[in-house]
Amino acid sequence: MTAVTPVTSADPLVYLTVSEASRLIAARKLSPVELVEAYLARIDAIDDVVHSYITVLADRARAAARIAEAEVLAGRWKGPLHGIPFAVKDNYHVKGVKTTGGSRLMLDYVADETSTAIEKLEAAGAILLGKLNTWEYGTGTGEIYHDLPFPLARNPWNPARHTGGSSTGAGVAVAAGTAMFALGSDTGGSVRLPAAATGVYGMKATYGLMSRAGCLPNCWSLDVVGPLTWTAEDNATVAQVMAGYDPRDPQSADVPSYDLMAGFDMGLKGLTIGVVRDLGADAPSMDPDIVTKLAETEVLLSELGATVVEIALPAPLSKYRSVTGTINWAESLSIHEQDFMERSHLMGKALKDKMTSGFTVRAVDYVAATRYRRQLAVTTDAVIRTVDAVLAPCTFITAPTFEDQERLVKFTFGSATSIFNVTGHPAISIPTGFDRDGMPTSAQIVGRYFDEATTYRVARALEKAAGTRGLRPAL
Amino acid sequence: MSDFPAWTQDEINAFAARYGLANLTPDHLARMRELADRVSAAGRAIPRMPSKGDEPASTFRVPLA
Repeated sequence: MTAVTPVTSADPLVYLTVSEASRLIAARKLSPVELVEAYLARIDAIDDVVHSYITVLADRARAAARIAEAEVLAGRWKGPLHGIPFAVKDNYHVKGVKTTGGSRLMLDYVADETSTAIEKLEAAGAILLGKLNTWEYGTGTGEIYHDLPFPLARNPWNPARHTGGSSTGAGVAVAAGTAMFALGSDTGGSVRLPAAATGVYGMKATYGLMSRAGCLPNCWSLDVVGPLTWTAEDNATVAQVMAGYDPRDPQSADVPSYDLMAGFDMGLKGLTIGVVRDLGADAPSMDPDIVTKLAETEVLLSELGATVVEIALPAPLSKYRSVTGTINWAESLSIHEQDFMERSHLMGKALKDKMTSGFTVRAVDYVAATRYRRQLAVTTDAVIRTVDAVLAPCTFITAPTFEDQERLVKFTFGSATSIFNVTGHPAISIPTGFDRDGMPTSAQIVGRYFDEATTYRVARALEKAAGTRGLRPAL
Repeated sequence: MSDFPAWTQDEINAFAARYGLANLTPDHLARMRELADRVSAAGRAIPRMPSKGDEPASTFRVPLA
C-alpha cells in the first residue's frame, strides 16, 4: 500500500498529546495560556476549511487558562488534564452557552445547566474551547443533504471526504489540532465512526459508565458519551475523569470506581484475544484495504504475545441492526414529538425521516426489540467472557467523498459499531493505518463489561507496535 | 410472523390525520408511506422471545434512581 507523507505547518503545540502537554505544564515549561492561544490561532487559521466548530468560546477559554496558569504557578497542579484544551459536540450543555444540537429547532437555546461530563473535566482543570459540529440531534444515515444550519465538517486528511457522524466535528478537531481532545456521543457508532474516519481513538465505554446528564438525548437506551483523542493513553486519561456514578443520569451504573489504566503498559503476553472475522452472510462487503489492515492487526497481536482465537458472535450483524432501528425511531420520536407535530419544517431530512419512521412504529415491535436486545446482550456477553478482549471490524470502508451517497450510507450503516450499542460492551475505535488513498483505516477493540482497562491495554500495545501516530494531516 | 399488506397512501393520510399530523405536505405523506413499509418490515424482522417471562432490557425499578 502507498504510504502517505502529509506535511503540516501547524504550531507544534497543537500536536502535542495530552500526556506530553500535561508533563510540560506540570513542570512549568508550558503555560496553559500559551497552549490555549496556540489552539485559538489554529482554529482561526484552518476552521474555515474543516468546520470543526459551531461555537468557539475564546474569552471563556482564555479566562480559564489564566486561572489554570496561576494555579500551576502556585503549586496547585490538579492532575493530567490541568490546562488541557478540549471541545465538545454541540449536544453537551454548558450553562449560559448556546446548545444548538446542530438543529434549526435550537438555534437560540441557551442552556441553564452544565453537563456532568464537562463539570468533571473542568473540575480536573481542563479548558473548554468550544462546541463542535454535529448532525442534527445526532441523527443521520450518512447521506449528506446540505440542509443543516452550519457548514459541513470536512475531513482534515482530505476535505472532499466524509468526517463520519454524528460527532462530525470531534474527530476532525483532534486530527486537525483544533482541540487536544474532544467529546462526542454514540448511539450506533457516533464516537467511533468519526474516530475511524479521521484516524483517532474513540471510546464508547460500558453503557452507564459515563454520565449523560446535561446532554441532549438521541435515544436513551442506546446513548453513551465518550472521548476522542490522538492516543490510547490520552483516551484512558480523559475517560478516567469522565467515569463514575451520577444520580442525574437514570441509567448511570452504580458501580465502585475502578482504574481504567490498570495494566496499561503490561503488553499482551498472557492475554487471549478473540477475533471476529465473520459478521454474517448478509453483512456488507469490506474494502480490500480494510481486510488487509485487520489481518495485519491480527498478526501483530500474535507477535506481541497474545493468544489469538477466532470467535463467533451469536447472531449476524443484521440481527443487531434489526433492533436498533425500531428502538431508535420510537425513542427519538418520544423525545421530539412536539417539535415534529408543530415544527417539522425546521428539521433536516435525516431527522424528519427518523421522526416520520417513528410515527408508525407499533408498540409491540418496540417492546419486542427491547426484549430481543436483552437476549443479544446476554448471548454476546457469554462469547466475550471467553476471552480477554475482542478484535472486531469497525467501518468496512474508509471515509468516502461527499458525492458518493451510496458509500456514505455504507460507511455509517455498513459498520460493526452498533453491535456494541445493542449489547452495552466497551468498544474503542483504533487507527490501524491508511488505505491506498491515504485515508485512515480502523478496527474496534471490545472488552468485557466494565473492563475498559483491557481494551486500552490492547489499544496501547498495538499503537506502540504499529507506529500509527507519526503522521498528521497536511493542513 | 406473517407479512402485512403494504400501507396505501389513503391509509397513511388517514393515520397521520388521526394522530394530529393534519398539515403535512403531499411529499411528506408520500415519504411517510415509503418509510412505514420499511418500519413495518423492520418490526417483523425482530425475533420474538420464546418465553413469555423474558423482560425487556430496561424495566421499571424501585427505588427510583
